[in-house]
Amino acid sequence: MNQLAIRSLSKSFGAFKVFEGLNLAADSGEIVVIFGGSGTGKTILLRMIAGVEEPTSGHVEIAGENATDVAPEHRGIGMAFQNFALFPHMSASENIAAPLRAARAAEAEVESGVSRVARLLKIDHVLGHTPRELSNGQKQRTALARALAAEPKILLLDDPLRNVDAKLRFEMRLELPRLLRQSGATVLYVTQDYKEAMALADRIAVLSGGKFVQVAAPEDIYMAPATLTVAKLFGDPSINMVETTVRTAGKSATVDILGESVEIPASYAAYAGRKVAFCVRPEAVSLAHKSDGLHCEVQAVTPLNERVVLLLKSTGGWEFLSSLPSSAAIPTTGEKLRASFASKGTHLFDLETGERLDG
Amino acid sequence: MATGTAKTAPAVKQSRLARKALPYLLSLPALLMCIGILIPFFTAVYYSLLRYRLNLPAMKGFIWFQNYINFFSDPKFWNTLKISLVYAGLTVIVELVLGLMIALLLQRRTRFNNFVSILLLLPLMTAPALAALMWKLMTNPNFGILSYLVSLLGFPDMKWGSDPATALFTVTLVDVWVYTPFMMILLLAGLRSLPPAPFEAAALDGVPRSFVFFRITLPMLMPYILTATLFRLLDSIQQFDIIYAMTQGGPGDKLLVFQVQAYLDFFQATNVGRSAALMIILWAITYALSNVFIKQWLKLRERAHGVA
Amino acid sequence: MDHTSPLEKLIRAALLAIVIIFFMFPIAWIVLMSFQTNESILRIPPSLIFTPTIENYVALITGEMRTAAGSLKLDFMRNLWNSVLLSSASVAVSLLLGVPAAYAFARFKFRLGEDIAFTLLSFRFAPPLLVLLPLSLYFKTLGLTNTYIGLIWVYQLICLPLILWIVRGYFEDLSPDIEHAHRIAGYNWFQTFWKIAIPLALPGIAAAGLLAFIFAWNNFVFALVLASADKQPVTVGALAFVTASGIQYGQIAAAIIFSIIPTFVLAMFAQRYLVEGLSLGAVKG
Repeated sequence: MNQLAIRSLSKSFGAFKVFEGLNLAADSGEIVVIFGGSGTGKTILLRMIAGVEEPTSGHVEIAGENATDVAPEHRGIGMAFQNFALFPHMSASENIAAPLRAARAAEAEVESGVSRVARLLKIDHVLGHTPRELSNGQKQRTALARALAAEPKILLLDDPLRNVDAKLRFEMRLELPRLLRQSGATVLYVTQDYKEAMALADRIAVLSGGKFVQVAAPEDIYMAPATLTVAKLFGDPSINMVETTVRTAGKSATVDILGESVEIPASYAAYAGRKVAFCVRPEAVSLAHKSDGLHCEVQAVTPLNERVVLLLKSTGGWEFLSSLPSSAAIPTTGEKLRASFASKGTHLFDLETGERLDG
Repeated sequence: MATGTAKTAPAVKQSRLARKALPYLLSLPALLMCIGILIPFFTAVYYSLLRYRLNLPAMKGFIWFQNYINFFSDPKFWNTLKISLVYAGLTVIVELVLGLMIALLLQRRTRFNNFVSILLLLPLMTAPALAALMWKLMTNPNFGILSYLVSLLGFPDMKWGSDPATALFTVTLVDVWVYTPFMMILLLAGLRSLPPAPFEAAALDGVPRSFVFFRITLPMLMPYILTATLFRLLDSIQQFDIIYAMTQGGPGDKLLVFQVQAYLDFFQATNVGRSAALMIILWAITYALSNVFIKQWLKLRERAHGVA
Repeated sequence: MDHTSPLEKLIRAALLAIVIIFFMFPIAWIVLMSFQTNESILRIPPSLIFTPTIENYVALITGEMRTAAGSLKLDFMRNLWNSVLLSSASVAVSLLLGVPAAYAFARFKFRLGEDIAFTLLSFRFAPPLLVLLPLSLYFKTLGLTNTYIGLIWVYQLICLPLILWIVRGYFEDLSPDIEHAHRIAGYNWFQTFWKIAIPLALPGIAAAGLLAFIFAWNNFVFALVLASADKQPVTVGALAFVTASGIQYGQIAAAIIFSIIPTFVLAMFAQRYLVEGLSLGAVKG
């Protein structure tokens, strides 16, 4: 049984449609990341599930029952807000105790519940402080603790790492998956950071243009993006792209990259004549001094984390990136090489529909 | 840890109707209040179309716009209109200039300046009717301190409010005393909220002070000046307390502004129709003014609160 | 940043001194008068040297007034009590009605709410006699003339728009997410309103209440039209007192002081919020 489901959920403000006909179901204990840029309505979607915003049409199901008309306080949901939304006139411990008290737990239960999540989130030393006295990181943990305190079956996290500094975000990204699994709750996690999405999700639902363009496991999203938009959203540096047309020569298929022909798997031959976006992940670009492959010249070399990113320019003028492990032999600026593209990281997208073409 | 086998509490449905009705329920008392105001308002409109004298009930009858038409040929009405406009214009201009000057004097946030600005609130917190009484005591021809002081300056028989020549001056003085602090405090808040960057840049470039004042300070302060001025204008054109408490509209017809005239028409002449028509005309003036004002006020409010 | 020349400083100081004298002198002088006997008030030239007496205040409190014509009963304390009662009850009613409405207008954007808010606002600027004169006739029919209830009801005209608009601004400044978080934590609408919205807007509610009290206290025309002597507040009472007491100037001064002190004290408390209140929330101090 799905713990949480949304059925053809739509929201519009006047003539402006935020999203339309969203469908999604999450199992017990599953972590689903809702990923999308700002202004795509992710937050509104979470609020709707929580019951503090009304859908224009469609409905929300909790444990298999239509919950659209259930008041927020009866939905059994925990939620952490992007701006924390702590109760400013209560101490951290009162904040965390709020959902327990609402459930009319006995005082002893409240206390043990608060100290359990406080220990879990390492904020037991600041429980007496008011939100104003907490650092951003502590506020964020308090907000999480409050969401977790009543052990809700559904946990909604609205970009909880958005407003904390980079170091803390890094730590939390490591810590959160364990924490969320431990809670056993069905988690909907909103973010616009693709690394966060990849690190946390069982499944990622990509929200774009008012629709879920792809709902799939992180690997699938990355390796088999359903659309050009999805391909562009995931990956850093982002995917290389050039517009071209599929051509066939005998049994093999090629694309023309600004005047230079590059061979692609023969299975694409079916799309002969189709206008496409030819896309390659930077890490699928390999460089060598050899007799085949795209002619290119190294324009710039930039180390990035454990990898090195090279800016390359083909003879025809296509600028693209390659990402190599630091341990590999790194070409120098000005060096002329031939580039080849591993089929695993190479995709063709129909230019008109934006959809990926199966090769 | 919840094992997931526990039965979920039965979902409590709330009816959409109840949720939708909540805002209306909350504002119901305010709505009733509104209706409570609108009924006498429309009654006033109705009365203004009647020949209605409390002392001559038999004459009561519907006469359409006769009360208004009568005003055209009624010098008393034109006097009321003139004196109301003069009073409002005079007080507001004096208060604006004075208020702006004082705000500029107190602009810097020093402890002393803050203290003075709090002190200056006291006249504003004085009931206008009581303020008029205070000035009446001070301008008493027998023992009033002001009468004594002007006699030293060579005006031995200044009659203040009871002399037609100085009556307007006297009530204006009281109005200025009470309401200049209102201008001052709003303009001071405006001045202090101006971004410092343009002023620092002008100071660095050695721009002359008068130029800074007329080309930077005044334009940036304009929304505040406009709001405060309209606010005061709306109040001043319907001034009643100060004038009634000071001179009851006298001497003669010297200070018979709209509300004082309407009050006297109603309670002394018991001419309800004329009184109501006068109030409707004043209402039309204030309504037009308040529409301009509310637009200006909403803009400032939006700036202060983020939302209107 | 201080480029002011000594001459400019001198001019500024002189101007400031004039300002302070102009605005403070009347209050100071009335205070002095209130501690003088009639004889010392009537001296010419006036003098700052006199033997202070509290007999004016004593006379007001006891209600026994000695005039040249003999002893006179004048119950100014009654006016003072009327002012206290009318102002506090009006503010209480206004808060009770206005705060929930202000919350509704801030949180739920709905047409009727805006209409109510703006109607009340526009009548805040309409001439009071416009509605008072017809009301005085209605009150006669309804038997509300010269009753506290009737007056308190009419005083809503002063208090309600003020409270509605100021408190609305405070609610709008609160992040709705805090209330959402509380709902989701398991509390119903009313619990959230009571435990979150009200406490967080409390400074604004208190300030609006104090300000409404001051405006109600200082009002003159409402009670002038609708109340007789036994229900009149100090503003109307003091005026009647002048006529009645004839030449008891020291007592008039003392009555004025009695009447303005409460608003002065409250203004000091609400000082921080006065700017915002006086501009109905359009300007923050």
